[in-house]
Amino acid sequence: MGSPTPLDLFAAASAEGAWTVGEVTRRARAVIEAGLPPLWIRGEIAGFKAWRSGHWYFSLRDKSAQLRCVMFAKQNFRLPAPADGMQVFVFARPSMYEEKGEFQLTVTELLSTEQGGLWKLAFEKAKAALTKDGLLDPGRKRRLPLFPNRIAVVTSPDGAALRDIQAVIARRWPIAELIVVPAQVQGAKAESSLCSALNRISRLLVDVVVVARGGGSVEDLWAFNSERVARAVAAMPMPVISAVGHETDVTLCDLVADLRAATPSAAAEAATPDRAEVLAQCGVMGQRLGRALRIASRHVVERLDRSGDRLVRGIEHRLERSGALLTAHSARLDALSPLRVLARGYAVARDEEGRILKRVAQLRSGKEFRLRVTDGEVNGRVQ
Amino acid sequence: MAEFNKQLERLEAIVRRLESEELDLDEALKLFEEGVERLRAAREQLAQAELKVKKVLEIESPR
Repeated sequence: MGSPTPLDLFAAASAEGAWTVGEVTRRARAVIEAGLPPLWIRGEIAGFKAWRSGHWYFSLRDKSAQLRCVMFAKQNFRLPAPADGMQVFVFARPSMYEEKGEFQLTVTELLSTEQGGLWKLAFEKAKAALTKDGLLDPGRKRRLPLFPNRIAVVTSPDGAALRDIQAVIARRWPIAELIVVPAQVQGAKAESSLCSALNRISRLLVDVVVVARGGGSVEDLWAFNSERVARAVAAMPMPVISAVGHETDVTLCDLVADLRAATPSAAAEAATPDRAEVLAQCGVMGQRLGRALRIASRHVVERLDRSGDRLVRGIEHRLERSGALLTAHSARLDALSPLRVLARGYAVARDEEGRILKRVAQLRSGKEFRLRVTDGEVNGRVQ
Repeated sequence: MAEFNKQLERLEAIVRRLESEELDLDEALKLFEEGVERLRAAREQLAQAELKVKKVLEIESPR
């Protein structure tokens, strides 16, 4: 653009005495820019349109007039888009869009006059969408692993958050492997950077994920309020701990995560057990192991004792029975004993060879015999 | 080295089995020995560990 020439509205620029279109728009632009410095304007948004390029086009109007506005991508990237009908303040530079011959405002700041501003509105809108899909349902919260083997951290590679997390895990649970997935946590690329980092982790064998960022302004934390990032967090196959911003700023990422930690250090503590406590737990386990073995061996000994008792009892029983039988048998034997018969007054006669003489034919006259009585023997002869 | 949680889970299972079941002395001893070994390994892991940090390079997601 050329330097503004002194204004002479009646001096023709061309030889024919007429101005070219370009000359007029150039002059008009010079006049506007010289006469209207950048300024705050209040009005209502109308005809809002966000182009693929990221630039926003809309009108600002009140009851009687309207102004064409453009807000370029590099100015609006951190802002949630406003909606038609919204009352806003803009800080803008009035100018002339020469190609179209339009009076236009180039907006560099846009604030909502409504409660909490544009951020609040965008936050509530995204939150409502997430709620509708059940992603903020408390029942979705997963339990964190007790003894994580691999912990992934999504954060800025050179921020204090990573240093804090690393220090806490090194102290509490150095058994774990820490997988750092760097991401941009602010700026225009933060949203896709965070999503791609989460997406990478979802394909790794990781027990728990920490998404962390130190404190910052609402604009700085914008990416963590993006619906896209929130949905990426919700889609993670493993539990996610979110520690974004300060305790007072709750982001959508925090709401969707399985656990929200107040600070990156607190997130690292939540993700890990304390080594000292686990060692103590191991001690208890050792005691239980020893006690269990003693109990188990006592069971075995008791069982042995029991079988020994039964054995002894069995033998005793058998012996008792045998004893009784013996007594019975000896009584019967006793009853049958010939000595008992003799005692009753009977006598047995035997010949010299010891044969018992039972019949008269065996006892002819003159036959010698021996007679057995109860207390001894005598010799005799048949008369 | 076995993952720590697996080590501890197995140890828990051993202790519970020893505590709750009537086992042969032989079996009980075998479990006890395994338990002691797992406990030793777990303690060693706890004592010797040093945090390993791995950085995964950032890859821009294609849009």
